[in-house]
Amino acid sequence: MADKKEHTIEKKKLGVRDFITVGIFTAILFVVEFACALLGYLHPIMVAALSVLIPIVGCIPMMLFYTKVEKFGMITIMSILMAIILFVTGMGYLGAPITIISGVVADLIAKSGGYKSFKKTILSNGIFSFWICSNYFPVVVTADSYRKDLIDAGYSAEYCDSLFAFVNYKTIAVLFIVCLACGCLGALIGKAAVKKHFEKAGIV
Amino acid sequence: MNIRLDPRTKLYMILVVSAVVMMSATTPLLWSVRIIITLVPIVLLIAEKRYASTFRFFALYITALVLTFCFLSEESTGIIQSLLTGYCGIIAQFLPAMITAWYVIRTTKIDEFVSAMQKMHIPDGITISLAVVMRFFPTIKEEYCSIRDAMKMRGITLGGGSIVKMIEYRMIPLLFSCVSIGDELSAAAITKGLGGKVKRTSVAVLRLSAADIILLSGFTAAAAVFVIFKYFI
Repeated sequence: MADKKEHTIEKKKLGVRDFITVGIFTAILFVVEFACALLGYLHPIMVAALSVLIPIVGCIPMMLFYTKVEKFGMITIMSILMAIILFVTGMGYLGAPITIISGVVADLIAKSGGYKSFKKTILSNGIFSFWICSNYFPVVVTADSYRKDLIDAGYSAEYCDSLFAFVNYKTIAVLFIVCLACGCLGALIGKAAVKKHFEKAGIV
Repeated sequence: MNIRLDPRTKLYMILVVSAVVMMSATTPLLWSVRIIITLVPIVLLIAEKRYASTFRFFALYITALVLTFCFLSEESTGIIQSLLTGYCGIIAQFLPAMITAWYVIRTTKIDEFVSAMQKMHIPDGITISLAVVMRFFPTIKEEYCSIRDAMKMRGITLGGGSIVKMIEYRMIPLLFSCVSIGDELSAAAITKGLGGKVKRTSVAVLRLSAADIILLSGFTAAAAVFVIFKYFI
């Protein structure tokens, strides 16, 4: 197997195969995020519920991705890509630092477990889920002007008030913790799903 | 008519449009700037002879704008109006960015994109992954449609009412096909010499044409007007 040989020679360096894996799973994760975010327009409470929905729904692709991670950098690149995509789709640049930092930290945690330890993977997935919170940053940091902007942009005052009741600088800490908890929970669910479907089929 | 734009111009368009979309429009002038820069990708899509998708986007955008301006206001309450507000909000807010991204994805060949990124000295890892992401959205859509068809053939419509099953029935087959497509993609990429040690040359020669320069300056001007009138006047 030429592929195996390459791995032993260049154990630290990322190859094309890894970049393509990262690209594919980022695309899938974004589709999950987008589908969940559409629900946010039904009612503001769904916006807050994104921090529960996305880690749980996105857990299966994430855990499948974690089984493919063997080298440092893949999770970091994924977080950079998420930051770029969130910016392009109009979520703002305020959350980008959080997204990338949590990606690097998640990568380091997974690395400390040699990308094999399941406990470290759970924690790493929880930390990585912080990128969802970066969606809230425009709401939290620039609360007053953002509210005015939303009303001027045609949102009703009712929608805005209930949005800010759920997402503000007081609840952001709670949302972070919820993300972490659901990320960890999602890792357990995802692991079970991966075991049920993919290990049986021999893909992992 | 055939306008060939440099991928760098297209990326700049995305950058400007998503930045402008982020700062919400508050005055008629800002709205007109925003609508004008939304029209640019629509015109470009027409030039590419993609009439059907252009028309869909255009109709959706106009409907959302008309509804927002004529029927919805700060005082609107009630379930239908708040739903409508949500939908019009999402469309008016995100459609410009989406239509630009759609235009770029549909008209940029991957080799052009990669060589443009190389010219801008973006690291290989980000270039390749981003190229895969760009290429993958249409693939996910296709795969999802065939999964839905297969489910219909078996007579499964919503997954028996259980949300977990609904997600599982769609997600697992999707992941299976995505993983195998990824393997094929990496095999193809390695065959074409991606990831080699030497610097690769490219068939696509990139040069800024007159149309590029006009668009670049036009978008810069639009962004400048938007920022100045929003924050300084």
